[in-house]
Amino acid sequence: MDNHHSQNGAVYSTEQKNHRDAKKPKLTHFISDSELRHEFSHHQTGVARINNGSFGSCPRSVLAAQNSWQLSFLQQPDDFFFNKLRNGILDSRLIIKDLINADDVEDISLVDNATTAAAIVLQQIGRNFASGEFCKNDTVIIFHCAYQAVKKSIEAYVTSVGGSVIEVQLPFPVNSNEEIITEFKKGLERGKVNGGRVRLAIIDHITSMPSVVIPVRELIRVCREEEVDQVFVDGAHAIGSLKVDVKEIGADFYVSNLYKWLFSPPSVAFMYCDKKVENVHHPVVAHEYGKGLAAESAWVGMRDYSPQLVVPTILEFVNRFEGGIDGIMKRNHEMVVKMGIMLKEAWGTNLGSPPEMCASMIMVGLPSKLRVMSDDDALRLRFYLRVYHAIEVPVYYQGLRNGERVPRDKDGFITGYVRISHQVYNTVEDYDRLKTAIIQLLEDGKVCSELPKE
Amino acid sequence: MASNNTNHHRSITDINGSHPIPKKPKLSSSSSSSFITVSEIESEFSHHDTTIARINNGSFGSCPSSIISAQQQWQLKYLRQPDHFYFNYLKPAINNSRSIIKDLVNAQNLDEISIVDNATTAAAIVLQHTAWCFREGKFNKGDVVVMLHYAYGAVKKSMEAYVTRAGGKVIEVPLPFPVNSNDEIVTEFRKALEKGKIDGKKIRLAVIDHVTSMPCVVIPVKELIRICRDEGVEQVFVDAAHSIGCVDVDMQEIGADYYTSNLHKWFFCPPSIAFLYTKKNPKSGGSDLHHPVVSHEYGNGLAVESAWIGTRDYSAQLVVPNALEFVNRFEGGIEGIKKRNHEVVVEMGDMLVKAWGTHLGSPAHMCASMVMVGLPTCLGIRSDADALKLRAHLRDVFGVEVPIYYRPPRDGEVDPVTGYARISHQVYNKVEDYYKFRDAVNQLVDNGFACTLLSG
Repeated sequence: MDNHHSQNGAVYSTEQKNHRDAKKPKLTHFISDSELRHEFSHHQTGVARINNGSFGSCPRSVLAAQNSWQLSFLQQPDDFFFNKLRNGILDSRLIIKDLINADDVEDISLVDNATTAAAIVLQQIGRNFASGEFCKNDTVIIFHCAYQAVKKSIEAYVTSVGGSVIEVQLPFPVNSNEEIITEFKKGLERGKVNGGRVRLAIIDHITSMPSVVIPVRELIRVCREEEVDQVFVDGAHAIGSLKVDVKEIGADFYVSNLYKWLFSPPSVAFMYCDKKVENVHHPVVAHEYGKGLAAESAWVGMRDYSPQLVVPTILEFVNRFEGGIDGIMKRNHEMVVKMGIMLKEAWGTNLGSPPEMCASMIMVGLPSKLRVMSDDDALRLRFYLRVYHAIEVPVYYQGLRNGERVPRDKDGFITGYVRISHQVYNTVEDYDRLKTAIIQLLEDGKVCSELPKE
Repeated sequence: MASNNTNHHRSITDINGSHPIPKKPKLSSSSSSSFITVSEIESEFSHHDTTIARINNGSFGSCPSSIISAQQQWQLKYLRQPDHFYFNYLKPAINNSRSIIKDLVNAQNLDEISIVDNATTAAAIVLQHTAWCFREGKFNKGDVVVMLHYAYGAVKKSMEAYVTRAGGKVIEVPLPFPVNSNDEIVTEFRKALEKGKIDGKKIRLAVIDHVTSMPCVVIPVKELIRICRDEGVEQVFVDAAHSIGCVDVDMQEIGADYYTSNLHKWFFCPPSIAFLYTKKNPKSGGSDLHHPVVSHEYGNGLAVESAWIGTRDYSAQLVVPNALEFVNRFEGGIEGIKKRNHEVVVEMGDMLVKAWGTHLGSPAHMCASMVMVGLPTCLGIRSDADALKLRAHLRDVFGVEVPIYYRPPRDGEVDPVTGYARISHQVYNKVEDYYKFRDAVNQLVDNGFACTLLSG
């Protein structure tokens, strides 16, 4: 039975399917360039927005769906709470379950962001240290470039009750997965030195700064061989960037933000917990306490839950693109690599990792003449690019470390990198502007420390 | 881009979003020539479902369209250029909101005011600290936390999660309901404190509602806190989810160590925003409170931690200046609104009990903008489930939204009132809303309705 349904100018026919999520439309044409521009027309014009990684992006049609949910609440909040909210959240969780190849929707909870998920996991670990179930020699292992919020969460919940942390240096620039696996194995050895056990390994799927795709499957296999208790994959950037198959990956906990690369409004993330995980709770305790993390997270007191309700609309959006989310990921990857190569050749620098260790972001070396010599320099450069060139891109300072081969360009050591992102709204011009701005700085003979501070 | 709503305030097609930064509004209201009119009020709440007599402001609050608009401006500003927003707008805007709240509640120091999602979150923050004290040995196992029997369900669960699990003992203060005077509450409270001090145990914390949720009664917090200080209770946390915009909220007057209230219930903010006041006092350990969601701001003080708990939509926290402007359009500002809400809800409560031959759950001086109205006994409310079913029936069949409380009968009571409706009055309500409710119940009575007839 075909229904022809016109929505947003796209004409498509619908097919009835058996599953609960939105009817999957079969498109007769894909989203056009002008439709795409319209979907992101609320982005500030004139800004080369090549930092999708930090705050993500959300198209108008998803924002409109969110507004609808918000209005529904405002019109009659009691009715919304009693009759609409729960099913809406369940519908979203069911779609995510399919997207990540989980078996049971009960294993999927929706939380605000990866930062919240980290608190949930680390509170559980902290409780075990505090109760004496874990000993003082037991450790949590992380990469040195783990997200700062995660490190602070470890301080708050683990080291405060006597647990220790092992930091594994992420080689950067990196050339192969093997380099990472080697460092990680060394870290695990350190964890077992005093007879302690490694109780938790926190592994980024895609590190934030510097950004690299980590070989999580291999690392988890090593963890299981070395009898690490639990593995938490912080996949903050992952979903919408690369394929996420939780069964294949095999972690105990997996979190990813939907608002970074999967077009949701701020903010919502999913948290997958393996069935054998116990004693995990949302820190904001409400009526559903004790009924499982998914139920607890679905009501943490009165709030705006609308970002959690628009996942069906997100699916409709990505399916307007050729190849759906897979097609988007593939093209983002190809473009960001192409643009990265374009930049490094224009500047005479390097890439922070090979293309196969990137998804939709890549680290591009900045000319050494700019003299990025500190985090402060990196911030100045970022500020300068934003204010004087309307370019939004995060800048990373990589300190020199003894004994490591540091890449060079013709003028010196490369210590600064930009992390460029590519999302569906980006154009080649965005990256050309960055190329030109940096070249201009070089021609003006400027170094970072001379740039104005915010 | 067609969206489903008809009110242009809520479309996002306006991309000219240069945000009108409001000048710091006065705390007091405007001159008489510019008070908000009845039709302006109707327009501000025109998004409310007009088929419903919405007499439950207490549960989910309400937000006028001009404030929703202001919130959308902030959301749009973020979406346009989120990095710029994060680096340049977010913190000052949150500080602006905190500053207004500080003045509204008469706190002494801006550091004492943190903004969180809701009172439920505030409770988790305070009780997490209590749990930590037990685990660290600062408190002894078996030391006591006192709370009211009518404490909010989520707070009770939080006590279980954070206090009982950490080895603390929870003592509940039973409260009479219906209640006739503050003395009845004070008497029970004193008895509970005595119980808490048995065997040399210390009472480490008292958790006291300012306005209980169900059944709804205004608690004499100032007096109870004085008793706490006299009896050596270490700290007091007031869960005042309803208070701001409903009762007087003066931190110096009340004298609690911790105090939280939601601004989305009675202060016209969108969902969701609450403040948590932590008295600045080296002895009270206020600086040891932490937000459970830890970010890079950890250790910079609760207010700073709470202002960044990862990427989220903080827009509801940024419209407090707009809320203040809104209330100042009314005669007497928020004080005038509180006064009129109280007068009308009591008047409506009296009207209903006369119509039904029942009684109010508490005297007028123990109510604010909500009152418990006894329902006719022939309706046969015999359980919490009955109360919920009756509520759904009133919503679905009669278009009346009002929460129902089941009050179990006590020994010796003959044909007691077992069901109470908690009616609210907010500026958008009209007398017709309460007549609609009166008539619905009268019709149920005339039809010989009883809760046992409802399925489910």
